[in-house]
Amino acid sequence: MRSMVAKCLAIGSGALIVALAILFAWLQNP
Amino acid sequence: MSGHSQPPALLTRSQATYVWRGVFWVCVYLGLALAPLAVLLLGPTPPGGGFWFDLSLALGFAGTAMIGVQFVLTARFRRTSAPFGIDIIYYFHRYAAVVGFLLVLAHPAILVIENPGYVELLNPLEAPWYMTAGLVSLAAMLALLVTSLWRKQLRIDYDHWRIGHGILAVAALALALLHINSIGYYVAEPWQRGLWSVILASWLALLVYIRIVRPVRLLRAPYRVAEIREERGSSWTVALDPVGHGGFSFEPGQFVWLSLRASPFALREHPFSISSSPESAPRVEVTIKELGDFTRTIKDIEPGEIGYVDGPYGAFSIDRHSAAPGYVFIAGGIGVAPMMSMLRTLAARGDRRPHVLVCAHSCWERVIFREEIHALADKLQLHVVHALEDPPADWSGEVGYVTAAMLDRHLPTERADLEYFICGPAPMITKVERALYELGVPVRRFHTELFDLV
Repeated sequence: MRSMVAKCLAIGSGALIVALAILFAWLQNP
Repeated sequence: MSGHSQPPALLTRSQATYVWRGVFWVCVYLGLALAPLAVLLLGPTPPGGGFWFDLSLALGFAGTAMIGVQFVLTARFRRTSAPFGIDIIYYFHRYAAVVGFLLVLAHPAILVIENPGYVELLNPLEAPWYMTAGLVSLAAMLALLVTSLWRKQLRIDYDHWRIGHGILAVAALALALLHINSIGYYVAEPWQRGLWSVILASWLALLVYIRIVRPVRLLRAPYRVAEIREERGSSWTVALDPVGHGGFSFEPGQFVWLSLRASPFALREHPFSISSSPESAPRVEVTIKELGDFTRTIKDIEPGEIGYVDGPYGAFSIDRHSAAPGYVFIAGGIGVAPMMSMLRTLAARGDRRPHVLVCAHSCWERVIFREEIHALADKLQLHVVHALEDPPADWSGEVGYVTAAMLDRHLPTERADLEYFICGPAPMITKVERALYELGVPVRRFHTELFDLV
């Protein structure tokens, strides 16, 4: 269960980074 | 008196403190991983990029930051690991490495897909050196992943893997930073240069701490092997006494990194659960099963040899749940070592609460600490259950893996408020957690210690 939480947190932080990267690229190129 | 009783709190005050500290450190992690993106968002943009170009750059920066934070995760800072248990931080380190690598990989992949002409930049014979630096960094990251995720399948010895992992990791990040700095996008402004310098300095300081400061501290606080005892099941207990210092205090169930026949600088240390009680401190005992190259040499260690003990680590302890009405310990094989630390501690403290110990082993002769467990059952209110895969002909106890039906036979009906400590091979932990969940035990009552970090 704890390893699943660790996996979710890693994937979640990756997803957050991708979302922010897309936001950045979109802001630079509206 | 109002006559109304307060509902039991979900968490005690100390547990709530650990939760808040955990949330704080998760936020710090996200802050560190997202910092380069903030730099991008706040700074001026180089002209002529385009959406895919900027997205690719952002993913490259953020992936590199995530890989950089990997060094912090394995630096074994006790304060940051305390709320989670360091075993789970290592698991997170493994998963975050995969995510970070995919982000970094997306950086050249997007560039090449969007503009196939960039393929030429992947040719080391024609591309500028800093492009090759980026490519080699990516290859080093891939090598790190493959050798870590499949170390055993590739038959790489742990000590060799550990040294190679350190070298590859430093090379991967150093080359990535060279690549970023030499291209110069988003690092040209003075404040951006300042920020990247701070990031670089922090990373170098971390390396100095891990490779020099901590080994020096360990070197100044050596331990002497006082005794080596053979246990059942090809296991050995190593008793260590501090030499010229007072040792350390620990919670029963925690673990240490142990270096034997190697300097702390050699990074040939291995994690082992403490099997002794803190009540017998400053002596520390670890019980080690012969499983790998290092553990097979334990029996050759002689009393009087010097060792180095880095610890304690881990959140797997009854002392984190001291208000429980009773404990249930479920151990597979050598997973009984931290349970012994906790049971010995309960016995030393004269505990009178009812507890259950479930030991899963291959056969009766290999039940580690069998005789002492029975002695502890007499001292404590301890119900002991042995589950054997290969029982003797006259065996009347439990047989096979630990299942919900098996646990149901031995747990008291008032089982939801007990605290459950599970330690053993990862598949066993998963099965036991499912079984307990089926029996209606709240997930917050499960506490696990994961072996097999690599």
